[in-house]
Amino acid sequence: MSSFGFHLAFWLLAAMTVGGASMIIVSRNLIHAVIYLVISMLGVAGLYLTLSADFIAVVQVLIYVGAISVLMLFAIMLTPRAERNNTETSLKLPAAAVMVLILTATVFVALDTDWGAVRQAALADQARLIGQSLIREYVLPFEIGAVLLTAALVGAIALARHDDEDAAIHAQSLQAEADGTAEDVALLTDPPLVEVEADAGAGEDGGS
Amino acid sequence: MIIGLEEYLALGALLFSLGFYIALSKKNAVGVLMGVELMLNAVNLTLIAFSRFSTSDITLSTQVFVIFIIAVAAAEVAVGLALILVVYRNRQTINVDRTTLLKG
Repeated sequence: MSSFGFHLAFWLLAAMTVGGASMIIVSRNLIHAVIYLVISMLGVAGLYLTLSADFIAVVQVLIYVGAISVLMLFAIMLTPRAERNNTETSLKLPAAAVMVLILTATVFVALDTDWGAVRQAALADQARLIGQSLIREYVLPFEIGAVLLTAALVGAIALARHDDEDAAIHAQSLQAEADGTAEDVALLTDPPLVEVEADAGAGEDGGS
Repeated sequence: MIIGLEEYLALGALLFSLGFYIALSKKNAVGVLMGVELMLNAVNLTLIAFSRFSTSDITLSTQVFVIFIIAVAAAEVAVGLALILVVYRNRQTINVDRTTLLKG
């Protein structure tokens, strides 16, 4: 496959991927860094397409570009008083040295080895084949993956929720139900609203 | 010049080392997670490239493997971001230089 269009697509997507990843290093604003991460992930999805892995490309766009980047933006927005800058720690120079070592070693091996590679025929009807093999020969890893995702979800919720506040609000609502008065319900809703407004104000200050 | 396996492998190595640098050097915990995600992407790209250019027909099993890697990466990000939120709630910062509770 050496047509001009294929070359153009490969080099453009490679530039997009590597450029996005480099801009994560360069950009000083964390939210911009997430946007560059999205660009890099989209480039990788395009590279999957040039390797005729259509289903993986769609999964990449759905999960990385759609879900993980939004999750990261959520984490940034939920930490309003933390610093938004994206600078390096004191490990910058050793990290750069190890990075250059890894890069030279792997690129040398990749270019020096005779892989004896031949381009395989593209898999036709990929989504159906992948789905079938997921419920036949890979059914056990599939089920383990389902359990892992459930455990991760429950763990993330258990870690991220406010235990003390929830317990206090729950106790208050039980008390209000027992008393059956409207005053208590009004008292119950007021403090959280004030707190949310204070948080939003702090978030705007931090963002600007 | 024909674009073959070597170009994809070199690109995957470059992406992996960029992700490695970001994961090691960023001050912000979300930035560290971004680096980890880039490294996982580079590995997936390398796997797909190997499956496309291999001598035997491993395309289907490689793609299933990559799907599992993506699923585990999604679980890892969800738990990692929840941990970042807990650190933020306790210390009001997500700067990895300032979370020094275990430092002697």
